[in-house]
Amino acid sequence: MNFSSPLTILFTLLLLHETLYSTMADQKFIENTCKGTPSPNLCLKILLANPKSQNSDLTDLALIGVAAVKDKGVEIIRQIVALKSSKPKLRPTLNYCEEAYHAVVYADVPSSSEALRGGLAKFAEDGMADSAVESQACERSFSEHGWMSPMTDSNKAMNDVANVVRAIIRMLL
Amino acid sequence: MRSQTSPDVENPTRTSLLDADYGYVPTLDPTLPPQPQETRQQPSKPILLLISGLLAIGLLVALIVGNVHIETHDNDVPSPERRNPIEQGVSEKSFGLPGDVPPFSWTDEILAWQAPVFHFTPGKNWMNGPVFYKGWYHLFYQYSPAAPVWGLIVWGHAVSRDMVHWRHLPIAMETDEWYDVNGVWTGSTTILPNNELVVLYTGSTNDSVQVQNLAYPANPSDPLLVNWVKDPANPVLVPPKWINKKDFRDPTTAWLTPEGKWRMVIGTKVNKTGIAILYDTDDFKSYELQDTWLHQVDGTGMWECVDFFPVSKEDDGLDTGVIGPDIKHVLKASMDDDRCDYYAIGNYNPKTGKWVPDNAKIDVGIGLRYDYGIYYASKTFYDQNKKRRVLWSWIKETDSENSDIKKGWASLMAVPRTVALDPLTGSNLLQWPIEELDKIRSDLNEFDEIKLEPGSLVPLDVGPTSQLDIMVEFELDKKITNGLSVAAGVPYNCAGHGGAGVRDAFGPFGLLVLANQNLTEHTPTYFYIVKDKKGVYSTFFCIDQSRSSIAKDVDKSIYGSTVPVLEGEKLSMRILVDHSIVEGYAQGGRTCITSRVYPTEAIYDNAQLFLFNNATNITVTASLKTWKMGLMTKNESGWVWLGPSLILVVVFFFVVWTWQNQRKNRS
Repeated sequence: MNFSSPLTILFTLLLLHETLYSTMADQKFIENTCKGTPSPNLCLKILLANPKSQNSDLTDLALIGVAAVKDKGVEIIRQIVALKSSKPKLRPTLNYCEEAYHAVVYADVPSSSEALRGGLAKFAEDGMADSAVESQACERSFSEHGWMSPMTDSNKAMNDVANVVRAIIRMLL
Repeated sequence: MRSQTSPDVENPTRTSLLDADYGYVPTLDPTLPPQPQETRQQPSKPILLLISGLLAIGLLVALIVGNVHIETHDNDVPSPERRNPIEQGVSEKSFGLPGDVPPFSWTDEILAWQAPVFHFTPGKNWMNGPVFYKGWYHLFYQYSPAAPVWGLIVWGHAVSRDMVHWRHLPIAMETDEWYDVNGVWTGSTTILPNNELVVLYTGSTNDSVQVQNLAYPANPSDPLLVNWVKDPANPVLVPPKWINKKDFRDPTTAWLTPEGKWRMVIGTKVNKTGIAILYDTDDFKSYELQDTWLHQVDGTGMWECVDFFPVSKEDDGLDTGVIGPDIKHVLKASMDDDRCDYYAIGNYNPKTGKWVPDNAKIDVGIGLRYDYGIYYASKTFYDQNKKRRVLWSWIKETDSENSDIKKGWASLMAVPRTVALDPLTGSNLLQWPIEELDKIRSDLNEFDEIKLEPGSLVPLDVGPTSQLDIMVEFELDKKITNGLSVAAGVPYNCAGHGGAGVRDAFGPFGLLVLANQNLTEHTPTYFYIVKDKKGVYSTFFCIDQSRSSIAKDVDKSIYGSTVPVLEGEKLSMRILVDHSIVEGYAQGGRTCITSRVYPTEAIYDNAQLFLFNNATNITVTASLKTWKMGLMTKNESGWVWLGPSLILVVVFFFVVWTWQNQRKNRS
């Protein structure tokens, strides 16, 4: 094969062009999807962090989102465990938060993933809606007992991610 | 000892509690004739003591076991494994200054109160194919055995003679075939003319494609329909190419067309248009998609759990296939988008296969709802036993998943309701709790003509109020009642009026259920009359959850809608309270609301009932009846004590008899 032949060069350029277009199209799709969520920048960050998002349809994007909720939840549970030793006075409330995030990671996330795969988006939405509720309940439980929350950033992060993924899922309905 | 915890399918009639208790062998048989004592050694005191001790232990065991038996009898709940039982390490409730609401934490006691008593409640459940067969009502429900959250679904099964007392049976169908390995989803039963029963249900395949499958009872002569056979020809119906493979589910009961074929409906969508398509079949194994769709409505999205049935002003219930000049047809669908069940009344042409609504403005998905609260995936069946049509629905939780995991269950069924065409208006359905629920009423309290001036709050002393049936009528000034009309052009919206705390000229007035003494928690069920610019009155019926609980992780919406009130009618509502579920029926069931509430203080003995009138310009006169509602629970059943009491009596007489013998021997 003659690599320097004009035909080959043209063919290669066309191929590159096509790939560029399709990537741009995928990017556009992701951008448009994220525009419909309450936090478009956060949405882009989550979706683009996973290379699979480039070839994803809406259900796959939602699944990437649910996986992000799971990762965040696992991270927060670790944080809670660490806080329990560094701030023993807060242990009762931290215990409650641990249960709340347990519900997110071990009930809401699997339920949402399964529902998305099965085509029953509304149950997936319920799981993400609940994830936001659990994060809010955890945050409130500190102030309700008269403490300053050591987890405000984490709880807000979970709330925001869950709401973004919920918005993506609603687009499937 | 024969265990009562696993269902006894060989003995379908309810064994009496007495029989259930007597499954053990007494340690000594007190009916043996007394032996001649002279030639034997006297029973010594230590032995006597030992015998009495053993009998006492036996009594204790009987008491405990007797109570355990009773617990599993009426409400056999195969509850999912409780995860991580919570150690109550929460800090003491710190009560702030007077007027402050104390910080709140869910405790096991508060959560345990939430379980309803006279509503059907297994683990997590959805609605499926209810049917009446060989003397038993069958409820097949979507069951998620793994956790109180949606997941891998199988067909749960329970039977009843009266749809009030249930016996749980083994799982009817599992996810054991490639075509339903990802879920045995909603289906319907059709009873064939020879009384054979077939089921068509949706399976989610190993590729998550939604297909329809045929199943039938393994043993049709078994009235309990315990075992089921899936047809080897499954799946009998796969999604047509122009439909998304995941938008093809919930086939309806079939009926015979004039051409002698069986016809059924499946809901689906094309873009954002919800549609109901028709299939004809001779044998339930091969299907012809009809060219004309039964109906479609733009912008409504996916139609789930489609239901289609005839109604008429003359009959209370009609079998699915009935057609005639006075017959109207109801088309119902569950809207995936907004989680509400909508219906519309119209005309079905069996020749063209098309259904047309009487009023396109309130078409399916944009008009009337069965229920304006939490009520989804509902389904009717024709009860040939009592010639009525019965409506069942799935009611989800509106608290947090964390709470559901802690309490160990989630979701229940609303009470079964008869559904019929309103003979007076002709433009809406009437739903009413089945009459069998009247059987579990007790402790009637009647209140006549309580005058409620503007701003009244009247406590009603009726005993415990967590399980109540309330029927109340309100009389107003004739000027207003004569002006009430069938609501037209007013949006169905209670949320927009701000709840029961917002006072207006002609409302709100009604009841406060599950209310504590200082009203920090209360759930108003009320009427609210609004006069528009033309002087036309509309009546709203609402249930307000905004102050139902001080907990912040529960739903606090205000639900409801307008309700048609005809000239001269009093305003009436029926309220069923069953712990965390409140069902309201206005004007004989023209407008219904199902509510989930999770109070933290207005529970157990602290839950009270009030009448209230928050209107500023009208005085309302209320007359009402309340009944306590209950199945025989551990605390209420007197029979629990019969067994142990008899044992006690026997022990007593034995001790006396032994004592007498001892005395005889000594003398």
